[in-house]
This record gives sequence, structure tokens and C-alpha cells, in this order.
Amino acid sequence: MAETSVAERGLREGPAPATRGGGRRGRLQPPGLPWILPALVLCVGLIYYCIWYTALISTWDWDGIDPNPERVGAENYLRIAQDPIFWATIRHTIVFFVVTFVVQTALGLIFAVLLHSKVRLAVVYKVIIFIPVVLAPAITAPVFRRMYAPDGQVNALLEFVGLGSLAQPWIGQESTALPVIMAVTVWQWTGLTFVLYFAAMGQIDQSTIEAARIDGAGNFRTLTHIIWPGVRGTTLAMAILSAIGALKTFDVPYLITVGGPNYATEFLGTYIYRKTITQSHIGYGAALSIILLVLALVMALILQVRGGEKRVVR
Amino acid sequence: MFEVRTVWGRILLQVVVTLLVLPFLFPLIAMVQGSFAGDGWRNYAAVLAVPGLPRFFRNTVVIAAGTIAIVYVVTMLAAYGFGKLRIRGREVYFWLLLACLTLPEVVLLTPLFTTAQAFGFFDTYWAVILPLAALQVPFAVLLARNFVQGIPDELFEAARVDGGTVINGFRHLVIPLTRPIAAAVLIFTLIGAWNNYLFPLVFLQSTEMQTITLVPQYFVGQFSNDQTKILASAVITAIPEVVAYLCLQRLFERGLAAGAIK
Repeated sequence: MAETSVAERGLREGPAPATRGGGRRGRLQPPGLPWILPALVLCVGLIYYCIWYTALISTWDWDGIDPNPERVGAENYLRIAQDPIFWATIRHTIVFFVVTFVVQTALGLIFAVLLHSKVRLAVVYKVIIFIPVVLAPAITAPVFRRMYAPDGQVNALLEFVGLGSLAQPWIGQESTALPVIMAVTVWQWTGLTFVLYFAAMGQIDQSTIEAARIDGAGNFRTLTHIIWPGVRGTTLAMAILSAIGALKTFDVPYLITVGGPNYATEFLGTYIYRKTITQSHIGYGAALSIILLVLALVMALILQVRGGEKRVVR
Repeated sequence: MFEVRTVWGRILLQVVVTLLVLPFLFPLIAMVQGSFAGDGWRNYAAVLAVPGLPRFFRNTVVIAAGTIAIVYVVTMLAAYGFGKLRIRGREVYFWLLLACLTLPEVVLLTPLFTTAQAFGFFDTYWAVILPLAALQVPFAVLLARNFVQGIPDELFEAARVDGGTVINGFRHLVIPLTRPIAAAVLIFTLIGAWNNYLFPLVFLQSTEMQTITLVPQYFVGQFSNDQTKILASAVITAIPEVVAYLCLQRLFERGLAAGAIK
């Protein structure tokens, strides 16, 4: 773990390029520390300072104004452990990750396969799927609030196809608010999954596929036995990115449902924002932040280690 | 990938793709259609007549450009250092940098808020540019380092034998040879900076500093929740992004793909 890092191995397929410090060549190389210093100062400096500072105030009971905040030790963390909303955010995050990851992977894969086949106007389809990736959630949120409103286009469409009985206030009720958030996220990010799969499939050796065809493999078998294993590196990278993305989720739920109704779409990010900015419980928000950070790191490590095992098995 | 022999099979394929794409098209249509509801083009006229709009665009451009400049310079220097130069404990530094990849931006809110106020750059571009750059650099370095490592050592050795300095190696080898990955870094940073919502929301308080991602909410106040005009403002702010993507389509896809395959 000390030599190759978390995201690096996940995002790169195949063996690591063999350049390591020591050796004769290494000693001939000029020193590189000054070159990496700006990056270190900017990232490690700024970010690690922020983490340290957040960790510090997570032990305070602070409203952000009081010059002498009360030191309360681990009390914020103990209160979080008994906070039902905190546990709700964890549940939402897990459901959100599983659903969005599976749907995005399935859709991205299907689109990539279909658009690699002989389909007319492939460019048009590609553009439509990818446009949501470049649009800011802040820009598209009003559209979705409108679409899923009781008198919005989604209900109108259901009415139109004769399923009017299914029409409901999508955002306003607890049971459907989270699915809406997930649907919007899938809409937003499938384009990225698709483009990555599309590129990865371009790297699969065509002769392997032809050989399988000659041996009598149909489209489905080709997909499950050659294409799916062939793009495994991409799937793994997307799993890591989606897991961390799920933990970071903020824009979409904040802008569409503001975490409601009744905390039904509250995520760690929106909860931290609510506690820190809206309610000025800064110490509590900081403790939540530290928990979020630890979860993100653990998640990255787990997916990394499991990915590594699979690679060895292959 | 899929082999379709018959005409009917081909038509079926086309129909399936079309049906699958429709849900992706639907919100875009709803957006444009909604923006014309009621007063039609006059919605756009009303939005464009709001005095702040060009200012919002300018702010976003400044922030995106500033972030890209910082990320590019810092990343290329670091990629050369990590990829080709001698650093004791290199992997430790690299690991420290990459751990930042997992960092959610909400974690930065309170510390940056107090720091920005203490140093007096609260409500300035720097309050957004610096954290944005700090969050983009780790991924950019990851991409660029792998790329720089792929440049043959012999090139650098040849340059050194010819009496070139390290800086010359950087200028005449790294900068020109890393252009493809620089494009990827540029695209990632552009999307990240242009679309960021949280940092401007918290760190840019005065109206004349707002960015385009804050526009829809600004218009909620301006037009007392007149949805059609809010949608018109959303379309107007989306147009530059869509145009930029359509113009640089190959670059976008190649850039993103380079990130995944490397």
C-alpha cells in the first residue's frame, strides 16, 4: 500500500510502469523535490490544514461566533452515534450508491455496446447521453423540480400514456423523493460511464471477438465472456469513483429537495451543510465532516484491496 | 461489437437505442419547452435585461481560467518531478497527494471560511479558485505523472548529454510531449470549476461576485418564483457549456478516456 496508492491502482489497468527511485539511473537523476513543492503546498498544505482544523473544532461546542468555545472532547461524536438522522444519511448513501452504480453501469455498458455496433446517427445519440455530464446540477435542478412537480411533465406523460393513476407528488413525499434524486444522478452521470466504456471497448482486440464468433458464440455470450471481462478495469474505477461520489453527494439533493421531505433525501453532505451553515452547530458539523472523511478513505481502501485480489486471481 | 445480419435486426437495434436515449433527452426538452411557456421569447428578453447577468458569466470565466492556470502549472511541474526526477520518499508524497482525491468539499467549508476571513480574501475570486485548484490537482497529477513516466528516459538523457539543464528538459520535452494529457486535465478542471456550486455559494456573498451556477437561485428571488423565467435563465447558462462541448467533443471524450484507460 505504501508504494502504489489508492486511486492510482484503481484507475490504471495492467502492471505498474517500473520506475522506482533507487538504482544507478536514479542517482543520476537531478533532485525533484522543488518541482513537486508547489503541488504539495497547495494540496497537502491547504487540505491537510483544513482537516486538522476540522478535527480540532469537532471537539468544540461552537456556534462560529463565540470567541471562547467550550471544549467538549468526544461529545459531538457520541451524539452523532445516537443521531437517527445521521444513520438515515448513511442508509441513503448506501442505497444511493448501489442503485446508481448498478443502473449507470448497466446503461453505460448497453449504450457503449450498441453504439459500437452498426447504428446510424451514433454521434447524435452520443451527444444526447453526454450533454448532462457537462451541465451543472445547479443549472438542471430547476428543470427537475419542475418536471417532478405534481403538475409537471412526468405526471403529464403518465397521464398521456394512460397511467394517470401512477401520477403523484414525486418530490413532496418521502417514498419517492430519494428515487427522484437517484434518477437525476443517473441521468447526469451515465454519459461519463458510457464514454469510459466506449473507449475501453475500443481497446479490446477485435480478433478475439472474431475468434469467438467463429467458435459459434452469440452476441450475448460475446458480451458476458469477452467484453465484460475486457472492461473490468473501467468498472472497478467507476465503482471507486461512484462510492466516493455517493459519500460526497451534495448538489442534487440540496438543490432539488433540500434534504427533505422530513430528511428523506438527507445525505452526509447536505446534513453537514445544514448543521454547519444553516444551524451554526459548527462543532457538530465538523465531527460529521471527519466521519465522512474517514468513511471515504475506508471505502477507497476496501474497493482497492478487493480489486487487487481479483486482479491476482485473474 | 454486436453483429446484426438481417435488416430487421438492424432496425430493432436502432429502435432499442432510440428508446433508451429518450429518457436522457426528455429533461433537455422539458427545459427548453418550459422556458418558452407563457410569454415565449419574452422570458428570455426579461432574463437578459437583468443587469447582473454578464457579470455572473465574467466571474465564472475568471474563476475557471484562474483554476485551470494554477492546476496546469502545478500539475506539470509535479508530474515531471514525480515521473522523472529523484525524490527521497517519493511514494509517501504521492500517497499524501492522492489521499486528497477522496476529500469531500464540504469538509473544507468551516476551516476555509475562517481562514479566508482571517486573511481577507473572503468574497474574492481567490476564496473559490484556491480550494477548487487544490481539489483538482491530485487527480491531474495522477494522470500526468503516468503520462510523463511513459516518455522514454533516453530522451531526457540525450538532452542532458547535449548540455541541457533540467529546466530545458521540462520546457522542450515535458511541455510539448504532454499535450494530450494536458487537454484531459484542462477538460476535467473546466467542468469542475465551471459547474461548482458549493464554494461560490458559501465564499462569494456579494451579488456582483456571484457565478452562473448561482443564477437560477438568484432568479428565484428576482422573478418571485416565476418558473418559466428561471428555466429561461437555466437555458441561457447551459448554452455555453453545450456549445463548448459540441466544439471540443473529440477532446472531451479523448480526455476523459485518457483518464480511465491510463
